[in-house]
Amino acid sequence: MATVAPPVSSATSPQRGVQPLRAGQGNSFLWRKLHSLSGIVPIGAFLVEHIISNFETWNGPLAYAKQVVFLNSLPLVRVLEWAFIFIPLSFHALYGVFIAFRGRSNVNVYPWAGNWMYLSQRITGIIALVYIVQHVWRQRFSGVMLPEHPGAAFAKVQHELSNPWMLAIYVIAMIATTWHFSYGIWLFAAKWGITPGNRARKRFGYVCAVLGIALCLMGLASIYAVVYKYPNAPENVLPETPAALVQPATATSAVSLTNSRSAAPRTTQSQPRSTPQS
Amino acid sequence: MAASPRIIVVGGGLAGLSSVIKIAEAGGTVDLFSIVPVKRSHSVCAQGGINAAKDLKGEGDSVLKHFDDTVYGGDFLANQTPVKNMTAQGPAIIDLLDRMGVPFNRTPEGLLDFRRFGGTLYQRTAFAGATTGQQLLYALDEQVRRHESEGKVTKYEGWEFLSAVLDDNGVCRGIVAMDLRTMETRTFPADAIIICTGGNGAIFGKSTNSVVCTGSAQSALYQQGAFYANGEFIQVHPTAIPGEDKLRLMSESARGEGGRVWVPRDRNDKRVARSIPEADRYYFLEERYPKYGNLVPRDIATREIFKIVYEDQMGIDGQPMVYLDLTHLPKERLHKLEGILEIYEKFVGDDPREVPMKIFPGVHYTMGGLWVDFNQQTNIPGVFAAGEADYSIHGANRLGANSLLSCIYGGFVAGPQALNYAKALKPATGDGGHAAELQRQKQKNNQLTSSTGTENPFKIWRELGDTMTKHATIVRYNAGLDEADAKLVELLHRYKNINLSDKSQWANTSFAFTRQLYNMLELGRVIVQGARLRDESRGAHYKPDFPNRNDEQFLKTTKAAFVDGAPSITYEDVDTSHIKPRPRVYSST
Amino acid sequence: MPRTIKVEIKRQSNPDAPVVIEKFEVPYRPNMNITSLLGEIACNPITADGKTTAPIAYDSNCLEEICGSCAMLINGKARMACSALVDKLQDGNPDEPITLAPLSKFPVVRDLAVDRSVLFQNLKSVKAWVPIDGTYDLGAAPRQFPQIQEERYPLSNCISCTICMEVCPQFNDSTNFVGAATIAQVKLFNMDPAGSVLKEERLRALAGDGGVQECGFAQNCVEACPKQLPLTEAISDVTREVIVQQVKDFFTR
Ligand SMILES: Cc1cc2nc3c(=O)[nH]c(=O)nc-3n(C[C@H](O)[C@H](O)[C@H](O)COP(=O)(O)OP(=O)(O)OC[C@H]3O[C@@H](n4cnc5c(N)ncnc54)[C@H](O)[C@@H]3O)c2cc1C
Ligand code: HEM
Ligand code: HEM
Ligand code: SF4
Ligand code: F3S
Ligand code: FES
Repeated sequence: MATVAPPVSSATSPQRGVQPLRAGQGNSFLWRKLHSLSGIVPIGAFLVEHIISNFETWNGPLAYAKQVVFLNSLPLVRVLEWAFIFIPLSFHALYGVFIAFRGRSNVNVYPWAGNWMYLSQRITGIIALVYIVQHVWRQRFSGVMLPEHPGAAFAKVQHELSNPWMLAIYVIAMIATTWHFSYGIWLFAAKWGITPGNRARKRFGYVCAVLGIALCLMGLASIYAVVYKYPNAPENVLPETPAALVQPATATSAVSLTNSRSAAPRTTQSQPRSTPQS
Repeated sequence: MAASPRIIVVGGGLAGLSSVIKIAEAGGTVDLFSIVPVKRSHSVCAQGGINAAKDLKGEGDSVLKHFDDTVYGGDFLANQTPVKNMTAQGPAIIDLLDRMGVPFNRTPEGLLDFRRFGGTLYQRTAFAGATTGQQLLYALDEQVRRHESEGKVTKYEGWEFLSAVLDDNGVCRGIVAMDLRTMETRTFPADAIIICTGGNGAIFGKSTNSVVCTGSAQSALYQQGAFYANGEFIQVHPTAIPGEDKLRLMSESARGEGGRVWVPRDRNDKRVARSIPEADRYYFLEERYPKYGNLVPRDIATREIFKIVYEDQMGIDGQPMVYLDLTHLPKERLHKLEGILEIYEKFVGDDPREVPMKIFPGVHYTMGGLWVDFNQQTNIPGVFAAGEADYSIHGANRLGANSLLSCIYGGFVAGPQALNYAKALKPATGDGGHAAELQRQKQKNNQLTSSTGTENPFKIWRELGDTMTKHATIVRYNAGLDEADAKLVELLHRYKNINLSDKSQWANTSFAFTRQLYNMLELGRVIVQGARLRDESRGAHYKPDFPNRNDEQFLKTTKAAFVDGAPSITYEDVDTSHIKPRPRVYSST
Repeated sequence: MPRTIKVEIKRQSNPDAPVVIEKFEVPYRPNMNITSLLGEIACNPITADGKTTAPIAYDSNCLEEICGSCAMLINGKARMACSALVDKLQDGNPDEPITLAPLSKFPVVRDLAVDRSVLFQNLKSVKAWVPIDGTYDLGAAPRQFPQIQEERYPLSNCISCTICMEVCPQFNDSTNFVGAATIAQVKLFNMDPAGSVLKEERLRALAGDGGVQECGFAQNCVEACPKQLPLTEAISDVTREVIVQQVKDFFTR
């Protein structure tokens, strides 16, 4: 009879609970860092650009139209759009949802500032996702095609925002995305080891807050401009024919503007410059 | 024996881990048993530091002076040869710990910093903040983890050592241990075992020790035939914070910075401390020792506080507590004490800057332990011991910061010695006694689970602690010790009538505790009887009826053997081959 | 009538047993902490409605917040039981029951005792040690300026209580995140002159699944850590080094 029991290894049964680190294995590090990076460039960069562009609404429908024309005049604009906006954004958004659903928020138990911000980053991310899907669909891929009819941009948005629900959604989304972005920059700096020290993080926190508030106010100002500052904007401030309005250098876009459904309504030939407020 | 002998180390404190490292390094395989994950061993509690005469402060300190201080501090009861060896290895041990990454405090030049501790005139204590024990333990733990990941060490954390497996010739062939989760009791073969199970503060109920410091393993071996030496020598620290569950150390520096010890003059005074006017306060240390005041030596302070409470019945609210008052100190002084003030605040909830602290002496360290020879081997062949669990090095009183050193030194000796022993060991005949010992332990388990008495083990433990604290700590009288022994016999008797409210066979902590309790009771008798027979005062052992040291009769190691169910005490000469005993005089310190 | 403390304890007699809540009323004494409360129940294991029950299983050892054993959920929050004072928990509200529960992210062993061995496995996989040549006398270690010591010491104070992991929203069984404590230990050993020889291996290990990237910087760890380790700073520093290492490896390996 074996009286001396051999030592059993404790690893015979699968370990319950959180598993140990899989040292050096897997690719999640790469994906996670790409997600992080994509939030800053290109998505964050796009957001800044977008908010600045949209801020042209402050200067009226024509100025905004020019901005749209300018953007559409960039070389390979469709490629840029997909490579630097749609694809990274989809990746960031979808991987972000994946990340968000793997966290177990516990602010109810530990209501500390950092923990709230952690939760807020997930909530604002989801809000941004929902908003962007509808926004891009309605503004970019349906209704009047703005690349072809840049002059209709202001009116398109104005129509959208004439619905008070839509207006509320835009305001919320504006706050959520700029919040998400500015805290995202702070997070990026903290997590990439750019601001390891407590004081550095705190200081950078102020910088991000200022940036976030500025972006948010610009965005809200644009919304204000669209809804209240220039009521009843013309359907299209850039009738296709007078290519003279377009800078000579952007002839390509002028071409692209003219070859489309040029039966666009030319009805309200109002003069943006003469809008009293400006 | 096989090329790679199997060694079992029981206990993962400093002593256990250092012996594991030595064996693994020499190519042996080790099974390491510990009740708690080794990183949670009691050694983490040590705060002050670790001694070694590196003389980095240009004071002319030397190994010989460290040797002398240790022997003198221990009132000449320690065998001198191992002390000499330990102090000689001290500097190398510190260097080693430094190489292992212990964050010792540094001088501006990047060298190790040293501070002064009790019982010496030299700055000889290396320290890592206020958590030296923790830092040392972690460094060793990390080394063991490294050996573990290389397959040289197998850890059995959450296993309790129950007894040694002895063959027909009384040679150790392994251990019986119990898995504290599955409650499975098993035997493990080994060619030699090293017992590093620490101190036995739990016998005194509350102490500065950790929960698992029950002395249970040492007691089990004593009951199997090992000698237990100098059991009566228990160090009591004068200032501990009495807690509901344990006594937490309050460093001497509180008094060093000007803290005053007092009680209300009227024992029925119910006023809050701060509202008691100066005239109604009894600064008993200052009044009784005008010269030294609150800074009388440790043992005197301990005894006076004890007397005030138990003889004069003047403890605060009738409780065993006196005030240690810092509220009068200026801010800068308090700032120097920040660390310990925080401990008090955290565990008592009062701010010691505003409210006087309540303190009382606390059982702190076990000088006695398993008898070992100079190779750390007990009288049972194949059973070694090291650390606080053995009796060597500290004699009748331990000097501050010497224990951490002695643990590492002991482990460093025990490891290689056990390996050598194991290499020369002849194979066991038959099963080496495994079946019989397993049977014996299982029977004990069955007895406990089937017992249907009325006694609650935790209540018996409280009574044990109260008795031991009352009669066998600071001030000892023969009548009291007799009373205590009778009480222990009574408790052992009542133990038979124990009732486990939890008889389940899964992670049953009260079952394990109840097993340990029995061993505590048996070891309690060793302490009490050793003290009863030692009619002198030496080191931590103080009998007012015999106030002087008596070298003629008692310059001897007490050796307790378990004979017919009771301690049988004999004496053995002390090795005084290097330093001639001389009187130990406190008044000049 | 003498004052009592009401306690509600979430119990589970083994990992597969159903969870039950048992209520106790324990006689009040000043300065009680949670471990002494549990000791009191062990002495008198009778529930508030008079049922005899088993003493509560829980881990403890030092009782002075240095061994890291006794972490549990006290009034829902993870903290050390030995340093949790009843008076402070109840602050002016003595009738409010105190609730005790095991840590929620670790497998329950029994009652309040959980299995936290995953931390020790993690420490192994990041080689949290200094690979010394041997324990024989090799003379003094290289000098180390106090500034380095001052940075390493706080990290070396981690008591492996796993509270930083328990409170971390990212530490769960779908991320299998390694947790802040291990990351802090990597920083500690990478800073040691001899320990830094394994630096690259540690950094590579931490880039594995469940590694440092899973931190979402919720900062609960640093708020809750009973030993006040500078955890967020460590995470930040270590992540930077992991990134640098990964980039380096990409181009050179
Ligand atoms: C508050 C305090 C402060 C101190 N400060 C200092 C100081 O500044 N300097 C100094 O030099 N000394 C100090 N000491 C003393 C010193 O800490 C201890 O003497 C020393 O740590 C003991 O170490 P050890 O290895 O012998 O045992 P421990 O560290 O006590 O380890 C015992 C081990 O044995 C295990 N064990 C016990 N029983 C069993 C069993 N039956 N089966 C299996 N495993 C078992 C335990 O799990 C544990 O791993 C202090 C002590 C206290 C209480
Ligand atoms: C003031 C509020 C906003 C206004 C007025 C606005 C307006 C527009 C318009 C008119 C378009 C179509 C452009 C085109 O087709 O060329 C558009 C596209 C888009 N918007 Fe917004 N937007 C606003 C806020 C936001 C916000 C907060 C986001 C979030 C990041 C966002 C993300 C996008 C994206 C991703 C596109 C598609 C990009 C493209 O077509 O190149 N927008 N927006
Ligand atoms: C315009 C839209 C968006 C921008 C500008 C943006 C930007 C950022 C930035 C900069 C970060 C910080 C990266 C880091 O943690 O290092 C970040 C993180 C995050 N984003 Fe976005 N994001 C956007 C949309 C979304 C969407 C749609 C989601 C989907 C839910 C999302 C989810 C997240 C999450 C969960 C994080 C935290 C990641 C982590 O903690 O590691 N984001 N985002
Ligand atoms: S880092 Fe702090 S919270 Fe985490 S295990 Fe260590 S001591 Fe506990
Ligand atoms: S709480 Fe968790 S998410 Fe990071 S900052 Fe701390 S580890
Ligand atoms: S018991 Fe050691 S930390 Fe609480």
